[in-house]
Order: sequence, then structure tokens, then C-alpha cells
Amino acid sequence: MRTAPFPPLSGMALASAMALTAGLAAPLQATAGPSAQALEQGRKIAFTRKLGNCLACHHIAGGTAAGNIGPPLVAMKQRYPNKAKLHAQIWDATVANPETPMPPFGRHQILTERQIDLLTDYIWSL
Amino acid sequence: MNQESPKMKTLSLFRAAGLALVLTGLANGPALAGDSAQAQYEDMYQQAKAAQKRAASVEGEWRDIGKFLKKAQALAKKGDYEAAFKLARKAYIQGKLGYTQALSQQKVDWPSYFK
Amino acid sequence: MLKRIITLAGTLGLCLSLATPAQAGPKEDLARFQHFYLKRFPGVPLKEFANGVYAIDKVSRENWEAIEEFPPYEPYVEEGKEMWNTPFKDGKGYKDCFPDGPAIKADYPRWDAASKRVLTLELAINECRQAHGEKPLKYKKGPIAILTAYIAWESRGKPTHVVIPDDPDARAAYERGKRFWLARRGQLNFSCATCHAQNAGKHIRADILSPALGHTTHFPVYRSKWGELGTLHRRFTGCNKQVRAKPFKPQSEQYRDLEYFLTYMSNGIPLNGPGARK
Repeated sequence: MRTAPFPPLSGMALASAMALTAGLAAPLQATAGPSAQALEQGRKIAFTRKLGNCLACHHIAGGTAAGNIGPPLVAMKQRYPNKAKLHAQIWDATVANPETPMPPFGRHQILTERQIDLLTDYIWSL
Repeated sequence: MNQESPKMKTLSLFRAAGLALVLTGLANGPALAGDSAQAQYEDMYQQAKAAQKRAASVEGEWRDIGKFLKKAQALAKKGDYEAAFKLARKAYIQGKLGYTQALSQQKVDWPSYFK
Repeated sequence: MLKRIITLAGTLGLCLSLATPAQAGPKEDLARFQHFYLKRFPGVPLKEFANGVYAIDKVSRENWEAIEEFPPYEPYVEEGKEMWNTPFKDGKGYKDCFPDGPAIKADYPRWDAASKRVLTLELAINECRQAHGEKPLKYKKGPIAILTAYIAWESRGKPTHVVIPDDPDARAAYERGKRFWLARRGQLNFSCATCHAQNAGKHIRADILSPALGHTTHFPVYRSKWGELGTLHRRFTGCNKQVRAKPFKPQSEQYRDLEYFLTYMSNGIPLNGPGARK
């Protein structure tokens, strides 16, 4: 599902991608929740126009001039008891609802997998 | 989409080599000999151009594909085949995605909110 | 009051026509389209949709009305009038190509059976110029927007009345335009309908998404964002870029077909160009 049938990254590209991922992933613990630093990275992705730009459509606490196309992002753990479902929604919301206005951030590679992971953790913390 | 070709095998080898480099902490070293990196880039560039054309043929080309390819060419000229390859690959993927998207929309009709 | 009854009757009529299982065609599309917006924005009469966001949002409307007191497009209308009256090198003028001019905006876009394509005002202007040995004008801004601003000004008040003739080629062009409007495109995966129907009236960041009904009536438009006039196809280009799709060329078949469909959807709404927008 998540890996599209594209030619593999070349050695060099993969090497640097892995180096990057390893570098970013380092501060994350396997079992404990995301670190404050990771959540801040996620928040930045959500608030930055050229990245997630979630504020274009969703109200988020701490964000200004938010749109109202989508529901406000509050009580996310109640709305998505299963974090994987939230992840899937961000990845490609058209799966759950073909008429959704929400861009498929993962399927269309608007964000990287790593960015979507960080974003999911942040949104889930709201 | 491709059969396993000698080229693919070489690619896999490179991948393994790249991985080994990361694992041994040598990621910053020159990973590949110039010639093969160039060949890999050029191959990807051609594939990306073809994907762009295919997307355009169904009116599905995305905005930045052309920009990525231009930048890739400029980087390749400077010899930075690694960065050039990445951009060409991005263009290639976007070409594929735009094509798929356009095909999926060819029979659109009024959505439910119009009914 | 009477007006209200008429509007209500009209709305009911639309509902009825939706209920009857008629052959789906442009007429049914038109009823469906206008009904959608009239239902979404109750109390906004059809004619008012010519004013875009200002028909549905009070605060935006106040700002706009203040701008309209000294319309930013006014000098262009004057300049356009001069252009209209300036003879070509061969001594002829626009009036020779457009005997009914300058108030001809409502005659476009239309199906040109001879050339089997949608003929827009801008295309007709350039073909006129070329027939008289003049260079064609660029299609997004500048002289073409200035000249059409004058034509639009003179055409104000005439109702939009695009005709889709009973001609398979015309019908195909209409259907292409409709599909263009409904199809998701670009990396962000939006269709025209996503923003300007499904979410019309909602906020995207601080901006309000305009209803597509009435989109075509006020062009060319002076946009504060541009600081100048621009054509409808310039606006199409901008929209496509915003959804991260590669835009088509102004006056391409794609955009002319889209204009054909979109203008037809506003049939009945009086022209009010040139307009002023954010």
C-alpha cells in the first residue's frame, strides 16, 4: 500500500535517505510517546504552508487564520482511538471517502513518509 | 514493471553497497564511480521525460515536473549526479501519479453533493 | 415580495425539473448546478451571484463596495475605448469585424460551427486583428484585458446566454469542459468543484472560497493581488497552479471548453464586467 511500484532508489539516493531517516529517528524511543522535539517538528509540518498546511482547512489550537473546510483538530485520540487510522487518513483520505476535499498527502507524495509519521504523532496529541 | 535486467542487478548491488556504507558510517564518502552515477542519472532522466510526456498526453501533468527536470539537468552539468538523480526520480514519480490520476478522472460525473 | 415569489417559483421549477427523469444534458446540468447554489445560499438571488464572494459574505462586501466607489478598472475602460476606436493600419477597425460592437460580450463564448470550436471573445478579437494585418495580442493581460474591459463595460446588464447547439461537436466540447471542471487534478487533487462547489463559502485560511455560479460574469477583472487587469484564462492558469497542476495555455482548447461550460452554467445572470476582486 505504502510503497508504490516505482523503481528502487539508487544506492546513493537510498544511502542518503537512510542516513537522513536514521538521523531524525534517533531521538525517538521505541515504546515511549514521541518526544517534545518530535512533536514540535510535527507541529511545524502542520503549520507550514508549503508542507502540511493543515491550517488551510482545519482549526488547530495555537494556529492563526485557520480555515473551516475540515473539522477542527481536537480530541483526536477520541476520534481516532487507533493511531494507524489517523495515519491512513492523512496518507490518503480518498480511501475512506472518495469525495473528500483532503489532499492525499502520502499517496501523492506531498509529504515524505517521515513527515507524515511526525505529523500523525503531532495531530494525535491534539 | 521491468524484468530483472543486468542493469537492475547492478542497481541492487549499488544499493547493497550504499547500505553497507551507511551502516559502517561512511555515508559521506564518494559512494560511486562517476561514470555509473552519470549513467544511472541519465537513465532516470529519460524515464522521467517519458513519464512527463505520458501524463501530459492525458492532460494530467503536475506543475513542478518540468522544474524538477530543469534543475536536475543543471545539477548533472555540475557533476552532482546524486542530487540530479533524486530530482529526476521525483519527476518520474510525479509523472506516473499524474497519469494515474488523470485516468481515474476520465469518467467523472456530478458528485453526490450535486444530487 | 413579488420578486421573492418569482425566485421561489423558479427554484421550485428547478426542483421539479430535477425530479423528472429527463435525459441528462446541458439543460439538466444547468438546473442542477444553479439549484445547488441557490439551496446552499438561501436568500441570495440568482443575479447576485455575479458578485462572487461579495454576494455571500457581508464583511467582504463592505470592503468591496468601498473599492467600487473609485473602481480600479475605470482608467482601463477609458483606455479600452481608445483602442476600440483606433483604426488598424489598413484603415479598418474593430467595428468592421464586430458590427454590433462594442456591447458584444454576451455573444461569447459560442460554438463556431464552421471552425468546429468554441469561439471566445479574445480569440475573435485576435482573428479580427490578424485579418487586418495586426499582430495578435497576448491572452492573459495587457491590451487584450484593456480592450475587453471596455467591451465588458458596454455589455453590462446583458444576461449571460450561452447556447449549446444541437450539434455533436458542440456537445462534445461542452462535455469536455464539464469534465475538466469536475476532474481532480494536480498534486493536491482538487477539482474546480472541490473548492467552488463542495466548499464554496467556506474559509481556506483567511480567504473565502467563491461560488462557481457567476464566476464568468465579471471578467476581465482587476485583482488587487495582481495590481492590474487579467482575463478569465489568466485566472484559470492561477487556479491550476494553486492545485499544483501544470496550467494549460490561455485560449487552449481545454480552457475554451471550460469557459464554454462554466459560462453556460451562469446563464441568466447579467454581465457585470469588468470587476474588482481581492
